[in-house]
Amino acid sequence: MLKDLFVPNAKPRPSVFFTMVACQVVFLLLLWLFYPLQLFPTLGEVLASFKDLVTTQGLIQELWASLTTALGALAIATVLALVIAYLTALPFFRPIAYAASKMRYLTLTGLTFFMALMVSSGHQVKLSVLIFGATVYLVTGMTSVILTTTQEEMDHARTLGMSEWRSFYEVVVLGKLDEMLEVVRQNFAIIWTMITLVETLYQSEGGIGLLLYKQNRYLHLAGVVAIQLVILATGALQDYLFEFLRRMFFPYSDLSVAK
Amino acid sequence: MVDHTYKEPILTLRDISMQFGGEVILRDISLDVLDVVRPGVNQGQVVGFYGRSGVGKSVLCRIIAGLLPPSTGTVMVANPQRPVCPGDVGFVQQRYPLFNHRTLLDNLLVAAGRKHSPADAKAKAQDFLIRFDLAPHRRKYPAMLSGGQRQRAAIAQQLLCSEHLIILDEPFSGLDIAMIDEVKKIIIEVTTSDELNTVVIVSHDLATTTALSDTLWLLGPERDAAGQCLAGATISQKHQYNLAEMGLAWQPGIQAKPEFVQLIEHLKDEIRKT
Repeated sequence: MLKDLFVPNAKPRPSVFFTMVACQVVFLLLLWLFYPLQLFPTLGEVLASFKDLVTTQGLIQELWASLTTALGALAIATVLALVIAYLTALPFFRPIAYAASKMRYLTLTGLTFFMALMVSSGHQVKLSVLIFGATVYLVTGMTSVILTTTQEEMDHARTLGMSEWRSFYEVVVLGKLDEMLEVVRQNFAIIWTMITLVETLYQSEGGIGLLLYKQNRYLHLAGVVAIQLVILATGALQDYLFEFLRRMFFPYSDLSVAK
Repeated sequence: MVDHTYKEPILTLRDISMQFGGEVILRDISLDVLDVVRPGVNQGQVVGFYGRSGVGKSVLCRIIAGLLPPSTGTVMVANPQRPVCPGDVGFVQQRYPLFNHRTLLDNLLVAAGRKHSPADAKAKAQDFLIRFDLAPHRRKYPAMLSGGQRQRAAIAQQLLCSEHLIILDEPFSGLDIAMIDEVKKIIIEVTTSDELNTVVIVSHDLATTTALSDTLWLLGPERDAAGQCLAGATISQKHQYNLAEMGLAWQPGIQAKPEFVQLIEHLKDEIRKT
Protein backbone atom coordinates (compact mmCIF):
# COMPACT_ATOMS: atom_id res chain seq x y z
CA MET A 1 0.00 0.00 0.00
CA LEU A 2 1.70 3.20 1.23
CA LYS A 3 5.11 1.58 1.39
CA ASP A 4 4.82 0.96 -2.38
CA LEU A 5 5.32 4.68 -2.83
CA PHE A 6 8.90 4.32 -1.64
CA VAL A 7 9.84 1.05 -3.35
CA PRO A 8 11.80 1.37 -6.62
CA ASN A 9 9.71 0.52 -9.72
CA ALA A 10 6.68 -0.36 -7.56
CA LYS A 11 3.20 -0.01 -9.05
CA PRO A 12 0.93 1.54 -6.39
CA ARG A 13 -2.83 1.25 -6.88
CA PRO A 14 -4.27 4.21 -8.86
CA SER A 15 -6.36 5.30 -5.87
CA VAL A 16 -3.26 5.39 -3.65
CA PHE A 17 -1.28 7.23 -6.30
CA PHE A 18 -3.93 9.92 -6.91
CA THR A 19 -4.45 10.41 -3.18
CA MET A 20 -0.72 10.95 -2.86
CA VAL A 21 -0.77 13.55 -5.68
CA ALA A 22 -3.73 15.34 -4.06
CA CYS A 23 -1.90 15.41 -0.71
CA GLN A 24 1.21 16.84 -2.33
CA VAL A 25 -0.83 19.59 -4.02
CA VAL A 26 -2.62 20.46 -0.76
CA PHE A 27 0.70 20.49 1.07
CA LEU A 28 2.16 22.92 -1.48
CA LEU A 29 -0.89 25.18 -1.22
CA LEU A 30 -0.68 25.14 2.58
CA LEU A 31 3.02 25.90 2.42
CA TRP A 32 2.24 28.80 0.16
CA LEU A 33 -0.60 30.06 2.38
CA PHE A 34 1.54 30.06 5.49
CA TYR A 35 4.92 30.78 3.91
CA PRO A 36 6.76 33.00 6.42
CA LEU A 37 8.88 34.99 3.90
CA GLN A 38 7.18 38.05 2.46
CA LEU A 39 9.32 38.03 -0.71
CA PHE A 40 6.87 35.70 -2.37
CA PRO A 41 3.28 36.93 -2.90
CA THR A 42 0.55 35.11 -1.02
CA LEU A 43 -2.02 32.87 -2.66
CA GLY A 44 -4.71 35.49 -2.08
CA GLU A 45 -2.65 38.21 -3.72
CA VAL A 46 -1.96 36.02 -6.75
CA LEU A 47 -5.66 35.13 -7.11
CA ALA A 48 -6.63 38.80 -6.84
CA SER A 49 -4.01 39.74 -9.39
CA PHE A 50 -5.19 36.97 -11.71
CA LYS A 51 -8.74 38.33 -11.51
CA ASP A 52 -7.48 41.83 -12.27
CA LEU A 53 -5.38 40.59 -15.20
CA VAL A 54 -8.37 38.79 -16.70
CA THR A 55 -10.94 41.54 -16.20
CA THR A 56 -8.97 44.71 -16.86
CA GLN A 57 -5.81 43.76 -18.76
CA GLY A 58 -7.11 41.18 -21.23
CA LEU A 59 -5.05 38.22 -20.04
CA ILE A 60 -7.14 35.71 -21.99
CA GLN A 61 -6.92 37.69 -25.25
CA GLU A 62 -3.16 38.17 -24.81
CA LEU A 63 -2.74 34.46 -24.04
CA TRP A 64 -4.72 33.58 -27.17
CA ALA A 65 -2.59 35.94 -29.28
CA SER A 66 0.61 34.37 -27.98
CA LEU A 67 -0.76 30.85 -28.30
CA THR A 68 -1.79 31.27 -31.94
CA THR A 69 1.57 32.82 -32.78
CA ALA A 70 3.35 29.98 -30.97
CA LEU A 71 1.30 27.29 -32.70
CA GLY A 72 1.84 28.88 -36.11
CA ALA A 73 5.58 29.09 -35.52
CA LEU A 74 5.68 25.52 -34.22
CA ALA A 75 3.81 24.17 -37.26
CA ILE A 76 6.18 25.85 -39.73
CA ALA A 77 9.27 24.95 -37.64
CA THR A 78 8.16 21.31 -37.44
CA VAL A 79 7.84 21.01 -41.21
CA LEU A 80 11.20 22.73 -41.75
CA ALA A 81 12.95 20.62 -39.10
CA LEU A 82 11.49 17.38 -40.45
CA VAL A 83 12.69 18.22 -43.95
CA ILE A 84 16.18 19.13 -42.72
CA ALA A 85 16.40 16.07 -40.44
CA TYR A 86 15.17 13.63 -43.12
CA LEU A 87 17.58 15.11 -45.64
CA THR A 88 20.45 13.89 -43.46
CA ALA A 89 19.94 10.60 -45.32
CA LEU A 90 21.78 12.32 -48.16
CA PRO A 91 25.42 13.06 -47.32
CA PHE A 92 25.17 16.36 -49.23
CA PHE A 93 22.73 17.78 -46.69
CA ARG A 94 24.40 16.52 -43.50
CA PRO A 95 26.47 19.70 -42.98
CA ILE A 96 23.24 21.75 -43.15
CA ALA A 97 21.60 19.68 -40.42
CA TYR A 98 24.80 19.85 -38.35
CA ALA A 99 24.99 23.64 -38.76
CA ALA A 100 21.27 24.07 -38.02
CA SER A 101 21.66 22.06 -34.84
CA LYS A 102 24.61 24.17 -33.66
CA MET A 103 22.71 27.42 -34.29
CA ARG A 104 20.73 26.85 -31.13
CA TYR A 105 23.66 28.50 -29.35
CA LEU A 106 22.91 31.82 -31.08
CA THR A 107 21.19 34.41 -28.90
CA LEU A 108 17.75 35.60 -29.91
CA THR A 109 18.47 39.24 -29.09
CA GLY A 110 21.24 39.30 -31.67
CA LEU A 111 19.06 37.51 -34.20
CA THR A 112 16.11 39.87 -34.03
CA PHE A 113 18.24 42.66 -35.47
CA PHE A 114 19.05 40.66 -38.59
CA MET A 115 15.48 39.44 -38.88
CA ALA A 116 14.23 43.04 -38.68
CA LEU A 117 16.46 43.91 -41.64
CA MET A 118 15.13 41.00 -43.68
CA VAL A 119 11.37 41.23 -43.09
CA SER A 120 9.02 44.19 -43.04
CA SER A 121 6.54 43.95 -40.14
CA GLY A 122 6.98 43.39 -36.42
CA HIS A 123 4.74 40.33 -36.61
CA GLN A 124 6.96 38.76 -39.25
CA VAL A 125 10.08 39.46 -37.19
CA LYS A 126 8.43 37.80 -34.19
CA LEU A 127 7.31 34.82 -36.24
CA SER A 128 10.63 34.37 -38.04
CA VAL A 129 12.62 34.53 -34.81
CA LEU A 130 10.32 31.93 -33.23
CA ILE A 131 10.49 29.70 -36.30
CA PHE A 132 14.26 29.94 -36.40
CA GLY A 133 14.63 29.28 -32.67
CA ALA A 134 12.23 26.32 -32.67
CA THR A 135 13.65 24.82 -35.88
CA VAL A 136 17.21 24.60 -34.59
CA TYR A 137 16.07 22.86 -31.41
CA LEU A 138 13.72 20.54 -33.31
CA VAL A 139 16.43 19.62 -35.81
CA THR A 140 18.70 18.64 -32.91
CA GLY A 141 16.07 16.37 -31.36
CA MET A 142 14.85 14.92 -34.64
CA THR A 143 18.36 14.17 -35.87
CA SER A 144 19.02 12.35 -32.59
CA VAL A 145 15.90 10.24 -33.17
CA ILE A 146 17.06 9.39 -36.69
CA LEU A 147 20.50 8.43 -35.37
CA THR A 148 18.90 5.80 -33.12
CA THR A 149 18.06 3.79 -36.27
CA THR A 150 19.95 0.50 -36.05
CA GLN A 151 21.66 -1.55 -38.72
CA GLU A 152 19.22 -4.34 -37.87
CA GLU A 153 16.19 -2.14 -38.63
CA MET A 154 17.57 -1.04 -42.00
CA ASP A 155 18.72 -4.58 -42.89
CA HIS A 156 15.26 -5.87 -42.06
CA ALA A 157 13.67 -3.50 -44.58
CA ARG A 158 16.33 -4.29 -47.20
CA THR A 159 15.82 -8.04 -46.85
CA LEU A 160 12.20 -7.45 -47.80
CA GLY A 161 13.44 -6.13 -51.13
CA MET A 162 12.86 -2.48 -50.34
CA SER A 163 15.04 0.09 -52.10
CA GLU A 164 17.21 2.41 -49.99
CA TRP A 165 14.62 5.21 -50.22
CA ARG A 166 11.74 2.87 -49.44
CA SER A 167 13.68 1.38 -46.51
CA PHE A 168 14.36 4.90 -45.22
CA TYR A 169 10.70 5.83 -45.59
CA GLU A 170 9.50 2.68 -43.84
CA VAL A 171 12.03 2.58 -41.00
CA VAL A 172 12.90 6.22 -40.39
CA VAL A 173 9.93 8.25 -41.62
CA LEU A 174 6.96 5.99 -40.80
CA GLY A 175 8.69 4.02 -38.04
CA LYS A 176 9.74 7.04 -36.03
CA LEU A 177 6.82 9.46 -36.52
CA ASP A 178 5.70 8.89 -32.93
CA GLU A 179 9.14 9.80 -31.64
CA MET A 180 9.17 12.92 -33.83
CA LEU A 181 5.88 14.01 -32.26
CA GLU A 182 7.48 13.53 -28.86
CA VAL A 183 10.39 15.76 -29.92
CA VAL A 184 7.88 18.44 -30.96
CA ARG A 185 6.08 18.13 -27.62
CA GLN A 186 9.30 18.46 -25.64
CA ASN A 187 10.49 21.46 -27.63
CA PHE A 188 7.22 23.39 -27.54
CA ALA A 189 8.34 24.70 -24.14
CA ILE A 190 11.26 26.46 -25.87
CA ILE A 191 8.78 28.51 -27.91
CA TRP A 192 7.12 29.78 -24.73
CA THR A 193 10.51 30.90 -23.42
CA MET A 194 11.24 32.64 -26.68
CA ILE A 195 7.82 34.21 -27.22
CA THR A 196 7.88 36.04 -23.91
CA LEU A 197 11.25 37.51 -24.86
CA VAL A 198 10.33 38.41 -28.45
CA GLU A 199 7.05 40.04 -27.42
CA THR A 200 8.93 42.45 -25.20
CA LEU A 201 11.15 43.42 -28.12
CA TYR A 202 8.18 43.91 -30.51
CA GLN A 203 5.43 45.33 -28.35
CA SER A 204 2.99 46.47 -31.05
CA GLU A 205 1.00 43.22 -31.07
CA GLY A 206 0.85 42.67 -27.33
CA GLY A 207 0.89 39.10 -26.10
CA ILE A 208 1.35 37.44 -22.77
CA GLY A 209 5.09 38.14 -22.87
CA LEU A 210 4.44 41.87 -22.95
CA LEU A 211 1.95 41.53 -20.10
CA LEU A 212 4.58 39.67 -18.09
CA TYR A 213 7.18 42.30 -18.93
CA LYS A 214 4.87 45.07 -17.65
CA GLN A 215 4.17 43.24 -14.39
CA ASN A 216 7.91 42.76 -13.91
CA ARG A 217 8.68 46.38 -14.70
CA TYR A 218 6.24 47.71 -12.11
CA LEU A 219 7.27 45.05 -9.59
CA HIS A 220 3.78 43.49 -9.50
CA LEU A 221 5.08 40.19 -8.20
CA ALA A 222 1.61 38.75 -7.70
CA GLY A 223 0.86 39.48 -11.37
CA VAL A 224 4.15 37.89 -12.45
CA VAL A 225 3.34 34.72 -10.51
CA ALA A 226 -0.23 34.65 -11.85
CA ILE A 227 0.95 34.93 -15.46
CA GLN A 228 3.67 32.31 -14.90
CA LEU A 229 1.04 29.95 -13.49
CA VAL A 230 -1.18 30.57 -16.51
CA ILE A 231 1.73 29.75 -18.84
CA LEU A 232 2.51 26.66 -16.75
CA ALA A 233 -1.10 25.47 -16.95
CA THR A 234 -1.21 26.14 -20.71
CA GLY A 235 2.01 24.14 -21.13
CA ALA A 236 0.63 21.26 -19.06
CA LEU A 237 -2.53 21.26 -21.18
CA GLN A 238 -0.42 21.25 -24.35
CA ASP A 239 1.56 18.29 -23.02
CA TYR A 240 -1.66 16.45 -22.35
CA LEU A 241 -2.96 17.23 -25.86
CA PHE A 242 0.25 16.00 -27.48
CA GLU A 243 0.10 12.84 -25.39
CA PHE A 244 -3.50 12.36 -26.46
CA LEU A 245 -2.57 12.81 -30.13
CA ARG A 246 0.29 10.33 -29.77
CA ARG A 247 -1.98 7.69 -28.27
CA MET A 248 -4.63 8.32 -30.90
CA PHE A 249 -2.40 8.26 -33.99
CA PHE A 250 0.39 5.97 -32.77
CA PRO A 251 -1.21 3.38 -30.47
CA TYR A 252 1.89 1.16 -30.69
CA SER A 253 4.07 3.91 -29.27
CA ASP A 254 3.85 3.01 -25.57
CA LEU A 255 3.55 -0.76 -25.92
CA SER A 256 7.19 -1.58 -25.31
CA VAL A 257 7.78 1.07 -22.65
CA ALA A 258 8.40 -0.24 -19.11
CA LYS A 259 5.54 0.82 -16.89
CA MET B 1 20.12 -47.69 -53.52
CA VAL B 2 20.76 -43.93 -53.93
CA ASP B 3 18.02 -42.16 -52.01
CA HIS B 4 18.89 -38.69 -53.27
CA THR B 5 20.49 -36.85 -56.17
CA TYR B 6 21.54 -33.26 -56.76
CA LYS B 7 20.32 -30.88 -59.45
CA GLU B 8 21.10 -27.22 -60.15
CA PRO B 9 22.80 -24.86 -57.68
CA ILE B 10 20.60 -22.73 -55.44
CA LEU B 11 23.32 -20.75 -53.68
CA THR B 12 26.94 -20.39 -54.76
CA LEU B 13 29.71 -18.54 -52.94
CA ARG B 14 33.00 -18.10 -54.78
CA ASP B 15 36.23 -16.85 -53.17
CA ILE B 16 34.49 -14.64 -50.66
CA SER B 17 36.74 -12.56 -48.46
CA MET B 18 35.97 -9.58 -46.29
CA GLN B 19 38.18 -6.97 -44.70
CA PHE B 20 37.25 -4.11 -42.39
CA GLY B 21 39.88 -1.38 -42.06
CA GLY B 22 42.66 -3.70 -43.16
CA GLU B 23 41.62 -6.46 -40.75
CA VAL B 24 40.81 -9.72 -42.51
CA ILE B 25 37.53 -11.12 -41.19
CA LEU B 26 36.72 -13.76 -43.81
CA ARG B 27 38.88 -15.31 -46.51
CA ASP B 28 38.62 -17.71 -49.44
CA ILE B 29 35.12 -19.00 -48.79
CA SER B 30 33.65 -21.08 -51.60
CA LEU B 31 30.44 -22.98 -50.98
CA ASP B 32 27.64 -24.56 -52.98
CA VAL B 33 24.13 -25.43 -52.01
CA LEU B 34 22.55 -27.68 -54.62
CA ASP B 35 18.93 -28.60 -55.07
CA VAL B 36 18.64 -32.02 -53.47
CA VAL B 37 16.08 -34.39 -54.98
CA ARG B 38 14.55 -37.28 -53.07
CA PRO B 39 12.10 -39.60 -54.81
CA GLY B 40 8.57 -39.09 -53.59
CA VAL B 41 9.50 -36.21 -51.27
CA ASN B 42 9.28 -32.48 -51.77
CA GLN B 43 12.69 -31.99 -50.19
CA GLY B 44 14.23 -28.56 -49.60
CA GLN B 45 17.68 -27.93 -48.16
CA VAL B 46 18.74 -27.19 -44.58
CA VAL B 47 22.25 -25.96 -43.86
CA GLY B 48 23.55 -25.80 -40.29
CA PHE B 49 26.07 -22.99 -39.90
CA TYR B 50 28.40 -23.07 -36.88
CA GLY B 51 31.32 -21.11 -35.56
CA ARG B 52 32.50 -19.49 -32.38
CA SER B 53 31.01 -16.18 -31.28
CA GLY B 54 32.59 -13.20 -33.03
CA VAL B 55 34.23 -15.32 -35.73
CA GLY B 56 32.30 -13.60 -38.56
CA LYS B 57 29.10 -15.64 -38.97
CA SER B 58 26.91 -12.54 -39.04
CA VAL B 59 29.20 -10.87 -41.58
CA LEU B 60 28.96 -13.91 -43.86
CA CYS B 61 25.17 -13.98 -43.40
CA ARG B 62 24.93 -10.31 -44.40
CA ILE B 63 27.09 -11.04 -47.45
CA ILE B 64 24.91 -14.02 -48.44
CA ALA B 65 21.79 -11.87 -47.98
CA GLY B 66 23.25 -9.23 -50.32
CA LEU B 67 23.32 -6.65 -47.53
CA LEU B 68 27.09 -6.28 -47.50
CA PRO B 69 29.26 -6.45 -50.61
CA PRO B 70 32.30 -8.68 -49.98
CA SER B 71 35.81 -7.32 -50.46
CA THR B 72 36.34 -10.03 -53.08
CA GLY B 73 34.25 -12.84 -54.51
CA THR B 74 30.66 -13.32 -55.59
CA VAL B 75 27.41 -14.70 -54.21
CA MET B 76 25.05 -16.17 -56.78
CA VAL B 77 21.44 -17.17 -56.16
CA ALA B 78 18.34 -18.43 -57.99
CA ASN B 79 18.02 -20.41 -61.19
CA PRO B 80 19.55 -19.38 -63.55
CA GLN B 81 22.21 -18.10 -61.19
CA ARG B 82 22.67 -14.34 -60.83
CA PRO B 83 24.45 -12.08 -58.34
CA VAL B 84 22.51 -11.70 -55.09
CA CYS B 85 20.57 -8.50 -54.43
CA PRO B 86 19.03 -7.38 -51.12
CA GLY B 87 15.61 -9.02 -50.93
CA ASP B 88 16.64 -12.24 -52.71
CA VAL B 89 17.57 -13.95 -49.45
CA GLY B 90 15.36 -13.68 -46.39
CA PHE B 91 17.26 -12.97 -43.19
CA VAL B 92 15.57 -13.44 -39.84
CA GLN B 93 17.88 -11.73 -37.40
CA GLN B 94 18.32 -12.73 -33.78
CA ARG B 95 15.75 -10.37 -32.29
CA TYR B 96 13.14 -11.14 -34.98
CA PRO B 97 12.71 -7.58 -36.26
CA LEU B 98 9.29 -6.54 -37.52
CA PHE B 99 7.92 -3.09 -38.28
CA ASN B 100 6.73 -2.03 -34.84
CA HIS B 101 4.45 0.65 -36.30
CA ARG B 102 2.47 -1.89 -38.33
CA THR B 103 0.06 -4.54 -37.18
CA LEU B 104 0.97 -8.17 -37.79
CA LEU B 105 -1.27 -8.34 -40.88
CA ASP B 106 0.25 -5.10 -42.21
CA ASN B 107 3.73 -6.49 -41.64
CA LEU B 108 2.91 -9.49 -43.81
CA LEU B 109 1.08 -7.38 -46.40
CA VAL B 110 3.99 -5.00 -46.84
CA ALA B 111 6.26 -8.01 -47.48
CA ALA B 112 3.83 -9.82 -49.78
CA GLY B 113 3.15 -6.59 -51.66
CA ARG B 114 6.75 -6.58 -52.87
CA LYS B 115 6.12 -9.58 -55.11
CA HIS B 116 2.37 -9.88 -55.58
CA SER B 117 -0.58 -7.77 -56.69
CA PRO B 118 -2.61 -6.26 -53.81
CA ALA B 119 -5.31 -8.95 -54.05
CA ASP B 120 -2.77 -11.80 -54.20
CA ALA B 121 -0.72 -10.22 -51.43
CA LYS B 122 -3.78 -10.17 -49.18
CA ALA B 123 -4.59 -13.80 -49.94
CA LYS B 124 -0.95 -14.84 -49.35
CA ALA B 125 -0.74 -12.92 -46.08
CA GLN B 126 -3.97 -14.48 -44.83
CA ASP B 127 -2.72 -17.93 -45.83
CA PHE B 128 0.58 -17.42 -43.96
CA LEU B 129 -1.25 -16.16 -40.88
CA ILE B 130 -3.17 -19.43 -40.77
CA ARG B 131 -0.16 -21.63 -41.62
CA PHE B 132 1.95 -20.05 -38.90
CA ASP B 133 -0.87 -20.15 -36.35
CA LEU B 134 -0.98 -16.38 -36.11
CA ALA B 135 -4.48 -15.66 -37.40
CA PRO B 136 -5.95 -14.66 -34.00
CA HIS B 137 -3.19 -12.05 -33.61
CA ARG B 138 -3.51 -10.35 -36.99
CA ARG B 139 -4.58 -7.00 -35.52
CA LYS B 140 -1.87 -6.93 -32.85
CA TYR B 141 1.27 -4.82 -33.00
CA PRO B 142 4.62 -6.68 -32.74
CA ALA B 143 5.17 -5.41 -29.18
CA MET B 144 2.01 -7.30 -28.16
CA LEU B 145 3.27 -10.66 -29.46
CA SER B 146 5.15 -13.30 -27.47
CA GLY B 147 8.72 -14.22 -28.47
CA GLY B 148 7.53 -17.33 -30.33
CA GLN B 149 4.75 -15.50 -32.16
CA ARG B 150 7.19 -12.77 -33.11
CA GLN B 151 9.66 -15.31 -34.46
CA ARG B 152 6.99 -17.05 -36.53
CA ALA B 153 5.83 -13.69 -37.84
CA ALA B 154 9.40 -12.71 -38.80
CA ILE B 155 9.92 -16.01 -40.64
CA ALA B 156 6.57 -15.68 -42.40
CA GLN B 157 7.37 -12.12 -43.43
CA GLN B 158 10.71 -13.12 -44.95
CA LEU B 159 9.23 -16.14 -46.72
CA LEU B 160 6.58 -13.97 -48.33
CA CYS B 161 9.11 -12.05 -50.36
CA SER B 162 12.39 -14.01 -50.56
CA GLU B 163 13.49 -16.22 -53.45
CA HIS B 164 13.35 -19.58 -51.65
CA LEU B 165 16.42 -18.81 -49.51
CA ILE B 166 16.16 -17.84 -45.88
CA ILE B 167 18.77 -17.42 -43.15
CA LEU B 168 17.71 -17.89 -39.53
CA ASP B 169 20.13 -16.36 -37.05
CA GLU B 170 19.99 -18.23 -33.72
CA PRO B 171 16.39 -19.46 -34.08
CA PHE B 172 16.61 -21.69 -30.97
CA SER B 173 18.31 -19.23 -28.68
CA GLY B 174 16.44 -18.63 -25.43
CA LEU B 175 13.50 -20.89 -26.32
CA ASP B 176 12.01 -23.60 -24.13
CA ILE B 177 11.69 -27.21 -25.34
CA ALA B 178 8.13 -26.76 -26.60
CA MET B 179 9.06 -23.65 -28.52
CA ILE B 180 12.13 -25.34 -30.02
CA ASP B 181 9.86 -28.14 -31.26
CA GLU B 182 7.56 -25.54 -32.75
CA VAL B 183 10.42 -23.80 -34.60
CA LYS B 184 11.70 -27.19 -35.83
CA LYS B 185 8.23 -27.91 -37.15
CA ILE B 186 8.18 -24.60 -39.01
CA ILE B 187 11.60 -25.25 -40.56
CA ILE B 188 10.52 -28.71 -41.72
CA GLU B 189 7.29 -27.30 -43.07
CA VAL B 190 9.14 -24.58 -44.97
CA THR B 191 11.72 -26.95 -46.46
CA THR B 192 9.17 -29.55 -47.48
CA SER B 193 6.69 -27.12 -49.00
CA ASP B 194 8.91 -26.36 -52.01
CA GLU B 195 11.86 -28.33 -53.34
CA LEU B 196 13.86 -25.13 -53.85
CA ASN B 197 13.27 -23.76 -50.36
CA THR B 198 16.55 -23.58 -48.49
CA VAL B 199 17.07 -22.63 -44.86
CA VAL B 200 20.47 -21.71 -43.43
CA ILE B 201 20.40 -22.04 -39.64
CA VAL B 202 23.06 -20.10 -37.75
CA SER B 203 23.18 -21.65 -34.31
CA HIS B 204 25.19 -22.73 -31.29
CA ASP B 205 22.69 -25.54 -30.62
CA LEU B 206 24.61 -28.28 -32.40
CA ALA B 207 22.29 -31.20 -31.67
CA THR B 208 19.03 -29.53 -32.67
CA THR B 209 20.44 -27.89 -35.78
CA THR B 210 22.41 -30.92 -37.00
CA ALA B 211 19.33 -33.13 -36.62
CA LEU B 212 17.46 -30.86 -39.03
CA SER B 213 20.27 -30.32 -41.52
CA ASP B 214 21.52 -32.09 -44.63
CA THR B 215 24.66 -29.93 -44.82
CA LEU B 216 26.88 -28.35 -42.19
CA TRP B 217 29.33 -25.47 -42.46
CA LEU B 218 31.86 -24.74 -39.76
CA LEU B 219 33.43 -21.29 -39.90
CA GLY B 220 36.74 -20.75 -38.15
CA PRO B 221 40.33 -19.72 -38.60
CA GLU B 222 42.69 -22.26 -40.13
CA ARG B 223 46.23 -22.93 -39.03
CA ASP B 224 49.30 -23.04 -41.25
CA ALA B 225 51.87 -25.86 -41.27
CA ALA B 226 53.67 -24.26 -38.33
CA GLY B 227 50.46 -24.26 -36.29
CA GLN B 228 49.96 -20.49 -36.49
CA CYS B 229 46.44 -19.13 -36.95
CA LEU B 230 45.88 -17.57 -40.37
CA ALA B 231 44.17 -14.19 -40.47
CA GLY B 232 40.46 -14.40 -41.25
CA ALA B 233 37.98 -17.20 -40.81
CA THR B 234 37.04 -19.60 -43.58
CA ILE B 235 34.96 -22.72 -44.23
CA SER B 236 37.47 -25.24 -45.49
CA GLN B 237 36.54 -28.39 -47.42
CA LYS B 238 36.98 -30.50 -44.29
CA HIS B 239 34.54 -28.24 -42.46
CA GLN B 240 31.79 -28.71 -45.06
CA TYR B 241 29.82 -31.78 -44.02
CA ASN B 242 27.36 -33.45 -46.38
CA LEU B 243 25.09 -35.22 -43.91
CA ALA B 244 23.02 -36.73 -46.72
CA GLU B 245 26.12 -38.51 -48.01
CA MET B 246 27.03 -39.51 -44.46
CA GLY B 247 23.58 -41.08 -44.00
CA LEU B 248 22.72 -38.66 -41.21
CA ALA B 249 20.01 -36.56 -42.84
CA TRP B 250 16.20 -36.69 -42.88
CA GLN B 251 15.89 -39.36 -40.22
CA PRO B 252 13.43 -38.98 -37.37
CA GLY B 253 15.03 -39.81 -34.03
CA ILE B 254 18.52 -39.36 -35.51
CA GLN B 255 19.74 -37.78 -32.26
CA ALA B 256 19.74 -41.16 -30.52
CA LYS B 257 22.04 -42.82 -33.08
CA PRO B 258 25.68 -43.39 -32.03
CA GLU B 259 27.01 -41.95 -35.35
CA PHE B 260 25.08 -38.76 -34.71
CA VAL B 261 26.39 -38.46 -31.14
CA GLN B 262 29.90 -39.08 -32.47
CA LEU B 263 29.46 -36.35 -35.09
CA ILE B 264 28.32 -33.85 -32.45
CA GLU B 265 31.40 -34.63 -30.33
CA HIS B 266 33.57 -34.22 -33.41
CA LEU B 267 31.96 -30.85 -34.19
CA LYS B 268 32.49 -29.68 -30.63
CA ASP B 269 36.17 -30.62 -30.83
CA GLU B 270 36.55 -28.83 -34.14
CA ILE B 271 34.87 -25.69 -32.80
CA ARG B 272 37.12 -25.77 -29.71
CA LYS B 273 40.20 -26.04 -31.92
CA THR B 274 39.21 -22.90 -33.84
